[in-house]
Amino acid sequence: MLELRNLSKHFGGVKAVDDLTLTVNEGEIFGLIGPNGSGKSTTVNLICGVFPTTSGAVLFEGRDITDAPSHRVVAAGITRTFQNIRLFGDLTVWQNLWVSQNSAAERGKGWFGRWLGGDRVGRGDAEDLLKFAGLEHRSGELARNLAFGEQRRLEMARALAAQPRLLLLDEPAAGMNAEEVSQLAARIKALRKYGMTILLVEHVMELVMGVTDRIAVLNFGQKIAEGAPAEIRENPAVRTAYLGTADA
Amino acid sequence: MSDFWWEVIDPIQSVLDGMMFGSIYALIGIGFTLIFGVMHKINLAYAAASIGGAYASLAAFQVLDAPAIVVFLCAAAASGVIGYLVYICCFRFIPTAMPLATLMSSVGMLILIDEVVVHATAGMPEPYPAMFDDVMIDLEPFWIRGDLLMIFALSVIAMGILLYILYRTRLGIATRAVAQQPSAAQLCGIGQQNTNAVTFIITGALGGLAGAMVGASVGILSPLLALPLTVKGLIVTVIGGLGSIPGAIVAGLLVGGFENVFQYFRGVTERDIYVMLLLFVFLTFRPQGLFGRISSRD
Repeated sequence: MLELRNLSKHFGGVKAVDDLTLTVNEGEIFGLIGPNGSGKSTTVNLICGVFPTTSGAVLFEGRDITDAPSHRVVAAGITRTFQNIRLFGDLTVWQNLWVSQNSAAERGKGWFGRWLGGDRVGRGDAEDLLKFAGLEHRSGELARNLAFGEQRRLEMARALAAQPRLLLLDEPAAGMNAEEVSQLAARIKALRKYGMTILLVEHVMELVMGVTDRIAVLNFGQKIAEGAPAEIRENPAVRTAYLGTADA
Repeated sequence: MSDFWWEVIDPIQSVLDGMMFGSIYALIGIGFTLIFGVMHKINLAYAAASIGGAYASLAAFQVLDAPAIVVFLCAAAASGVIGYLVYICCFRFIPTAMPLATLMSSVGMLILIDEVVVHATAGMPEPYPAMFDDVMIDLEPFWIRGDLLMIFALSVIAMGILLYILYRTRLGIATRAVAQQPSAAQLCGIGQQNTNAVTFIITGALGGLAGAMVGASVGILSPLLALPLTVKGLIVTVIGGLGSIPGAIVAGLLVGGFENVFQYFRGVTERDIYVMLLLFVFLTFRPQGLFGRISSRD
């Protein structure tokens, strides 16, 4: 479904992502792990068109989306969450979801219907998402006033509002306590039932090991291992890369 | 009534008149502030484009002899188109990493629009239609001028429509999303360039209405209207707080009222000196403006 071919990103002399090739299959939960600065977030940013690639290609469902502008990537069916939360703080919880709805049905409404159609449009979908995120009682609250955990949940719901086929989660468990992490794992597993493909970029090992089908490990921008969670756990190269990091 | 009362009636009357006229400044201030909110750029050509739109609507007045309200709406439509052209010429293709470049391109556009107007009209003022300029409403002890009331009413309607769009439609919510988190908005599927263009068109229409009402209130259009309107609009934006729409509304009425009361006491040639001093007072003691806050965005 998602294919990265020899993807590279150099910042000056630093090879943040170096000749990365990997494939995420449809319906799969794919984990991308690695120590700090190994190029995980850069990879997500390259897929989303946040900054231009140095070389290589990004293919989604067979279409070349390398260096496509972000909103085209969304239209193609990929959305994401952010490591550092980036909600629209002065909009309400409900508006954060509403503004992000970008399904084919939405786009079929025509410009006026979609943009000036009033806030009844798509209300049902948004209410389902609020329930999924456990935020139905917070619908009218400004996003900036939510607690940290609620903000993380809203970000995930916002990414889902566009009805993506591939969801990129950029360190969704960062800053969460153990209970919140297990709730997050339950939500990710629930998404799998809907047939969602997920690329999970994460630091927190128990989450990645618990929910993913396959894992790729990055170190210094290069893929050093790929396989099922059990294989990765036993892989000596991975152990070396993680040696000395707190969460290995 | 006491003598003191008679002393203050006229100043109060001039404040009220000024505030009604100030609703035009509020419209221009909203335009500056909205574009700043979305792009973090100042479009210095904005007020000139507004006067330009009013000039374009002269066609409806002179050729079709349309009623004043139709002429005003034509001005709004023309200014919306000019707003889009300004976006394309001055902002769309100039890298955002160079803040001075768009500032200079919009100054160039301000002068260009002015020059086109001067050329097209041979620099002569053109008569512009007014509405209700012969009506006086007697509210003892005050008078309300019909044309000022019309200006105020049209401004309030225009602001109402704008606020409805901004707070109740997805278009407006998307615009505010871009203003708050530009990169995240793109990653939610909101095209930033489309949002910018729509913002220029909508603020352009708002400005065109303001330009038409300036013309209507003085009965003529002149290229000399563009620069003072630019300056007043910027002052309103700064006093209200960059990026704040409520701020622009309040500051517009405030500047209009102050301006007129200075004019009452000190005469028309001296009033703008005090308006400028008001600006410096604000910049010194409340640089973020009435409703401004330290912006946080990536």
